[in-house]
Amino acid sequence: MPTVTIKDEERIGTDARVKIQLSEYLTKLYQTGTPDLSWMNETGEWGMRAKPGPLGLRMKDIEIGSYGVVPDRGGEHRSMAPRGAVLPEGLPSLDFTVNDKYECWADNVSELYEEAVARQWSSARDIPWSELKPLPDDLERAMCQLCTFLTEVEFIAADAPTRWMSRINHDFFEVKMFLATQAMDEARHMDVFRKRALANGGGLGRASVGNERGLRKIFNAPSLTAQTARLHLLGEGFVLTVFRQGEFIAPSRVDQEIFRRCMQDESRHVGYGSMHLRAQLKARPEIAEEVHTELDDAERILLDIFSEPESVEPMAILMGGGVKNFDKGMEMQSNLWRRIVAEYLQRCDSAGLDRRPRCLLPTDFAKLVAAPA
Amino acid sequence: MANFPAPEWFLALGRLMAANGELFRRLGYVETRFVVRVMPAEDGAGIDEAAGLVMEGHELTRAVRLAPAQIEDFDPDFIICGRRPVWDRMLEQIARDGRPELRQTLSSLVLLGEDLWLESIDQLREDKFYRFNQSLQEYFNLASQMPSSA
Repeated sequence: MPTVTIKDEERIGTDARVKIQLSEYLTKLYQTGTPDLSWMNETGEWGMRAKPGPLGLRMKDIEIGSYGVVPDRGGEHRSMAPRGAVLPEGLPSLDFTVNDKYECWADNVSELYEEAVARQWSSARDIPWSELKPLPDDLERAMCQLCTFLTEVEFIAADAPTRWMSRINHDFFEVKMFLATQAMDEARHMDVFRKRALANGGGLGRASVGNERGLRKIFNAPSLTAQTARLHLLGEGFVLTVFRQGEFIAPSRVDQEIFRRCMQDESRHVGYGSMHLRAQLKARPEIAEEVHTELDDAERILLDIFSEPESVEPMAILMGGGVKNFDKGMEMQSNLWRRIVAEYLQRCDSAGLDRRPRCLLPTDFAKLVAAPA
Repeated sequence: MANFPAPEWFLALGRLMAANGELFRRLGYVETRFVVRVMPAEDGAGIDEAAGLVMEGHELTRAVRLAPAQIEDFDPDFIICGRRPVWDRMLEQIARDGRPELRQTLSSLVLLGEDLWLESIDQLREDKFYRFNQSLQEYFNLASQMPSSA
């Protein structure tokens, strides 16, 4: 076997401050040459074999025997020891604070993780950038402002949940894995909208105070439950509609491909949020009030966002096909508003939250000006 | 040659999907069952037809003709509804250009809910239309490779 050459090998450790004691086990191993092998008799369920399906070996294929049982409460050791492994004494705690299943779980989380991994895409490779053509000035400015908005807001869905990700008990690793894909999705969204803003001679537009206020509320949410309500249910649901609008108003195939692919990613995030809320409400119906209170504030912030020209006008210009058709664009936007509200409420229904009586969002876009502030 | 929306038409598209396996593998797998419903034109011309489709992985695994009364039993995640002229227009554009014009894609047509619209018993199941939208659109775009698209 060829020897690996390590540069300046003779210098390694010459200035070390700490002396390493060979462990009792290694001392014995070197002295006797006899391996310990006791670990060989400590396996969870030896002999059980996960079988791949037509699409390979997916997470659901390994949910077998005790490995497929997700506990209602995560292990009290609170270490990163894998669920189903034999747990030795002395595992160091990482002090996880989200230790109950209902706090983070969603029944579709493994499915969404696997789907996310399978449906990843590359903004460099999969968007036909070479087809991007100059647009009329008003359309390009509107598209760049929309991209600025999306570059500004998208990464909150990575920054915020990953704050909690590190606090989730490792027995709910499926949730962590899904949130990791969500973070990757959001990185790609930030990347693709920044690229789009810079790719056609426009550049970034104006950041928004209203957006930033809303983002701060999501970032500082006091619990994962609170964050899910604000972020996944209302925020991501709203952005999903923006992506769908984006696919519709896209002035080029480049823009259409961007929005369609982002739309797919965002749907998974909304799917997790809705099912997570459903799991929480089923386990602890009394948290409904906490969720309502969060949504009271989040809906008010959404209305604030619709009070800023940089948030409203670009979409209307793109919908109408130019500044000259602004009124037409606003009318289309008005029709879509009803859809945003309808789908949001249907997601609440699906999660088991009757939001209709408390909802602050007017069903008629024209009533936004008269909405409670 | 079967015509849209006969199950045989969708199955032929499914064979093209298999032949273009690399494209669909790159998009990622799909798991959904849905219905394509073609309703008479505004003037009443045509009949109410529907096909139930199942996509698993990178394949269309099932296509069946459904009477309107059978749709519920098929238990679709979502139903894409539209009048005959709208479907025909989209398929004509696909036959001509390999894909629909801007604002004529499945998602765009569904957005305003006027030309095409979605029906579902559960918003989460309806959202699969969006989760797998690129694959669904590419599947319909394969109609450009069919001898007769409509």
